[in-house]
Amino acid sequence: MDAFYASVEQRDNPDLRGKPVAVGGSRERGVVAAASYEARQFGVRSAMPSVTAIRKCPQLIFVRPRFDVYKAVSREIHEIFAEYTPMIEPLSLDEAYLDVTENLKGIDTATGIAREIKEKIREKTGLTASAGVSFNKFLAKIASDYRKPDGLFVIKPSQAEAFVETLEVKGFHGIGRVTAEKMHKMGIFTGADLREQPVENLVKHFGKAGRWYYQIARGQDDRPVNPDRIRKSIGAEETFSTDLEEIELLLNELWPISEEVWRRAERAHLYGKTVTLKVKFGDFEQITRSRTSLQPLTEQPVYERIIRDLFDSILPLRKGIRLLGISLSNLDSLDDLEGRQLTLPF
Amino acid sequence: MKFIVSSSALLKQLSAINGVVASNPIVPILENFLFQLEGSVLTVTASDLQTVMITEIEVESSDKGAIAVPARLLLDTLRGLPEQPITFKIDADTFGTEIVSENGRYKLSGENPIDFPKVPAVNKTLSIEVAADVLGKAISNTSFAASTDDLRPNMTGMYVQLGENNTTFVATDGHRLVRYRRQDLRSALATSLIIPRKALGLLKSSLPSDNTVVKADFSQSNAFFSFGNIKMICRLIDERFPDYENAIPVNNPNILTINRLELLGSLRRISIYANKTTHQIRLRIAKDELVISAEDLDYSNEATEKLNCDYNGEDMEIGFNAKFLIEMLGNLSTNLLQLRLSAPNRAGILVPNDQDESEDILMLVMPVMLNTYA
Repeated sequence: MDAFYASVEQRDNPDLRGKPVAVGGSRERGVVAAASYEARQFGVRSAMPSVTAIRKCPQLIFVRPRFDVYKAVSREIHEIFAEYTPMIEPLSLDEAYLDVTENLKGIDTATGIAREIKEKIREKTGLTASAGVSFNKFLAKIASDYRKPDGLFVIKPSQAEAFVETLEVKGFHGIGRVTAEKMHKMGIFTGADLREQPVENLVKHFGKAGRWYYQIARGQDDRPVNPDRIRKSIGAEETFSTDLEEIELLLNELWPISEEVWRRAERAHLYGKTVTLKVKFGDFEQITRSRTSLQPLTEQPVYERIIRDLFDSILPLRKGIRLLGISLSNLDSLDDLEGRQLTLPF
Repeated sequence: MKFIVSSSALLKQLSAINGVVASNPIVPILENFLFQLEGSVLTVTASDLQTVMITEIEVESSDKGAIAVPARLLLDTLRGLPEQPITFKIDADTFGTEIVSENGRYKLSGENPIDFPKVPAVNKTLSIEVAADVLGKAISNTSFAASTDDLRPNMTGMYVQLGENNTTFVATDGHRLVRYRRQDLRSALATSLIIPRKALGLLKSSLPSDNTVVKADFSQSNAFFSFGNIKMICRLIDERFPDYENAIPVNNPNILTINRLELLGSLRRISIYANKTTHQIRLRIAKDELVISAEDLDYSNEATEKLNCDYNGEDMEIGFNAKFLIEMLGNLSTNLLQLRLSAPNRAGILVPNDQDESEDILMLVMPVMLNTYA
C-alpha cells in the first residue's frame, strides 16, 4: 500500500487531502510512523523524529495513529489476496508476498493478477497500492518499490541482473543503514559494485549474510513464499517524553510494557523462553539484557521476576533513559502437543 | 612472616580447594587464597561466598600471620616448578609476597587478609558420619538430574532427607527425578535440607573414593563437611523442595526388562538421528520386542533398531528425550533394568532389576508427547 497509514487518514478526513500529513506523535519525542506523499516532498520520512519533520515541513499536520482502522483495512486487502492464492506471506500490515505460480482464477500472467488486485483494492478500500512482479521475493519487493505510488513494475528473468546492477545497495530490502555504511566504506555503492565482490570477502565482512548479499547481487533468491511464517518474538516498547533517571518512575513505565507483552503472548497462545529488556539512553546508546529459561515461561510472576532482575542488572544508571522495551522470544505454542517435553506435576 | 613448604605438597592441597575460586568473583578479594600461618600449620581458605573450602598443610616455620595470595598466579607458578622446597617471605605491611625457589625469585602482590570474608562458624544442630564412597555415590547418582535453572532455585541442588531408618537423596529438574535411598545411613534426628549443585560438584571431586569417614554437621543455613585435612562449608538452599513422592506414579503395570548396556548402546546410535533440539526418540513396545526409532524431519534423517526384551503389559508407543535416558542409564550400574510404564503421557520409571539391600535407587523421566497420542 502507498503511504498506508497516511493514505487511510486522508481517505477518512477530506480536510487532509492534498496536504502534508504525518501519522505519529507530534510531541518533542514523537516519531513519524508514516508520511503522505505531500509530506515526502519536503523530505519527511517514516521513522524520522517529529521535531526534524516539523523543521523540514512547518505546515506538517500530525494525526494520531488509529491502528484498529489500519488493521481492518489490512484484513480487507488480505481477503482480496486470498481470492487469488492461498500462498500469502504477510510482511507487515500493508505488504505481502504472493506466490501466484498456481492461482485460483486460472489467470495466465502474474502481471494480469497484479493489475486485478490493484483494481480491487481501489474499489474496496479507496486506496492505491503498488505491485512488483518478478520470479523471486527479493526482486518482487524491489519492483514494488520502484514505481510508487500506484505503480506496477515487472522484472523479467532476462532483465534481473542488469536491473540489480543499477540499484543502490542502501535501497535493498534487508540491507539496513549500518550495513549500507559498512558497504560504502568498502567502496560498494551499487548492485554492480556488490557483484564484483568475491563471496569469501563478503562472508568475511558480513558473516552468513555475506552469502545472501552475493546471491541478491545476482538477482538470485530461492526463499519460498511462506504462508505460515512463525512469529519469532512479541515485544513492546515506550519512548518517554523526557529522559528518566529515577528508578521508581522507570518501573512505573516498565510494568505496563511488561503487562502488554504478556497479554499479547497470551492472546496468541504463545509462551516465550527468552525475555529481553531493551534500554535506550538519552544519548541514544542502546543496550539489551536478556535471560533464557529452560522451560517456556507459563507463569506471569516468574516472567515479571526475570524482568525485575534484568532491570536491576542495568543499575546503577549512568545516565537518563529515553526508551524501555521488553520482548519475548524463543516462542512456543502450548496448543501443539507433539514433541512437547512433559513436566513433573509440581 | 616466613615459611618453607614442599612445592608439590602445596600444589596438591591448593588444587583440592581451587574449584571454589570463581574466575570472575563478585568481590575481587575472592580471587585469592587466604593463607593463615600458625607455627608449623598453614591453613588455606578459598571462598565464593556460597561455598568455602579450607585445607591445612604442614610447613616449616615458627611465625604467625596471614596474607591473601592471588590464586591463579600462585597455582600457575607451582605447576611449573619441579618438586622442591620453596620459601615464602611475606611483608606484613605491604602484603608483598616473595617466593624463593632453588634458582629463582617470584614476587606477587598479595592483599590484606582482613578483607577476606569471614568463614561461618559451626553452629550445628545435627551431626552425622558417612563413608566418603557412600556420599560420593549419592552425589554422582543424583546431582546430574538437578536443575540448572536459577528460576527454580529449589531444584538446583540435592535434597537430603535424614531419617531414623534411612536417608534419601533426591534431585530433579522438573523433567526427570532421581531418588537414591541408603538404609545404612541414619540419623537420630529427622531433618531435611538442600545442598547446592556447585558445592556437590566440589565435594565430589575432592572426596576420596575409599571409606574415609566424612563428618557432616548441619546448621539451619549451612552444611559443614570435614574429611582428611579438608573442610568444606556451604550455604544451604533455603527453599521448599517439591513434593516429589506424590509425583512418582505408584501403579505402573507395564514392565519392560532389558539389558542396560544393550539399551544404552542402541539409544546412543538412534539419538544421532533425532531432532537436535528435542532429542525425541520413540519406543514401540510389544511382546518381547522393543523398537527404538528417531527421525529428524529437518534433514530427513531417520533410524530404527530392534532389541530383544522381556515385556509384560499392553502394547505401547512412548516418546522420550534420548539425552535424558542416556544420562540416566549411564548413571546406573545394574546389568538388567526395568522400565515401568503406565501410559504414554505419564512418567517412565527406571529401576535396577535387582538391588543391594543397603541401597535403593529409582529414576523417573517424563515422556515427550508423540503425534500418535493426544
